[in-house]
Amino acid sequence: MKGPWYRVQSALAAILTYLWSGWGAIASLLLFCALWEWGAQLNGPLVLPGPQATLAQLWHMLDSGLAQPELIISTRRTLQGLGASLLIGSALGLLAGRSLTAAMLSRPLITLLLGMPPIAWLVLAMLWFGMGDTTPVFTVFIACFPIVFAGAMQGARTLDNQLRRVAQAYRLPWRMQLTDLYLPHVMSYLIPAWITALGTSWKVVVMAELLSTTDGVGAALAVSRSQLDTASSLAWVVAVLALLLAAEYLLLEPLKRRVERWRLETEQ
Amino acid sequence: MNALHVRHLHHRFGLQEVLHDVGFDLFAGQSLALVGPSGCGKSTLLQAVAGLLEPSRMVMQNDFRGLGYMFQQPNLMPWLTARDNLALGLKALGVPKPARQRQADSLGQRLGLALDDLDKYPHQLSGGMQSRISLGRALAVSPDLLLLDEPFSALDVGLKLELYALLREQIAQRGCAVLLITHDLMEAVRLADRILLMAPEPGRVVREFELTLPQAERSEAWIHQTTGQLMENTEVRIAFGLQAGTLAIAESHDHGATHTGCKV
Repeated sequence: MKGPWYRVQSALAAILTYLWSGWGAIASLLLFCALWEWGAQLNGPLVLPGPQATLAQLWHMLDSGLAQPELIISTRRTLQGLGASLLIGSALGLLAGRSLTAAMLSRPLITLLLGMPPIAWLVLAMLWFGMGDTTPVFTVFIACFPIVFAGAMQGARTLDNQLRRVAQAYRLPWRMQLTDLYLPHVMSYLIPAWITALGTSWKVVVMAELLSTTDGVGAALAVSRSQLDTASSLAWVVAVLALLLAAEYLLLEPLKRRVERWRLETEQ
Repeated sequence: MNALHVRHLHHRFGLQEVLHDVGFDLFAGQSLALVGPSGCGKSTLLQAVAGLLEPSRMVMQNDFRGLGYMFQQPNLMPWLTARDNLALGLKALGVPKPARQRQADSLGQRLGLALDDLDKYPHQLSGGMQSRISLGRALAVSPDLLLLDEPFSALDVGLKLELYALLREQIAQRGCAVLLITHDLMEAVRLADRILLMAPEPGRVVREFELTLPQAERSEAWIHQTTGQLMENTEVRIAFGLQAGTLAIAESHDHGATHTGCKV
């Protein structure tokens, strides 16, 4: 048994290791900025403003208080749609994965749902829910749901039968089956699916807002497009990407490291 | 006295009959080995006894309450540390965390695992250590019936002997009944009080042998000699395919009359 001090130490070490591993990501982002700058110099600021001009514009938008309300609205819509799809998709996917019949029945439906373009859902949502808040939230939900569902189902299906027998032989109660058998295994399928769903959710929310609402980042993009304001458009894109990166690297990636500790331990 | 009685155990996988009218008794403190070639339905039988599989037909009376199961492979949960794997059954029984970790630690040490190793995940441990943990997991719940499904078949000789000794020591201390499944006659001779010989196609019991010498008095020489004698038995040779011939399939199984027992 290890004492609490050991735990604090190892937690600190894990955080430092995690931050240190960020250098690679930062280097690759900076390389991308260099390419962007090069493209900007070739094309001129009207077609493609450089990273510095874009960041300056973003700073200006944040400083004047123009950007925050729109970002908050979009974030709320994303989180609502994504949250619903993560909850419902994971739960239903796990249930479907437990029964062969349900898995066989849902597989073609999932292929169908995955293949359906989000823009088609958006058109339907606009007809069903009008130009309000529900349309982007629903579109995000329906675009992310099959991704999460398929991940959860795959996770539940691929669980080793031998381990299931162990759980049966030692009469694990259902709560323990969930925490000590299903979830640890399924997490390695769920988290990549959640990350994909996160990316999809932001793409879809901006698209839905661009076409169906008067507020949010998408609507703001529509305005900057009509004013031929490339710098503002890029600034919005950068703001959305920053939120996306933050959600992935501050929330999902640490969660992944935590639940997959047992896999990572050998690599150190 | 607690006992396990099984009668008229039949099982089919589709059209193939894997078990035909199997029956046996196992009393508290006894160890019974089911010996037969691969594919004679031994594992299926054990799973039926443990309730992991619903047989086509079976009459079973089982007074044993606590059940320990050691599988062919260690089958440890890869995401749990060795300690948590040892304590899995205890957690299922609702033993509070500090208590079950203490028990896992002391059991682990008795099985020759260092405290350091108990913090590791299964894939960081050698095959032998994984087998020890698998044995510890079965013993941790203080079972009165221990089911062993060829758990030692993939281990090297040295490790096997070590685990046999550990197992015998623990059984002697706890006095639990053991139902062992194996294709290794010598393993059966080493660990069992009674041996049931099974033949394949369909899987059935063809003969019972009783070993009267107490386990503590069995020397290596005696084990080798007894195994040799068994290997010369015609039914054993036919069951393992070493000799041509057929073994009768009983129409209806009347226990005690079909195999009368044979003292070795």
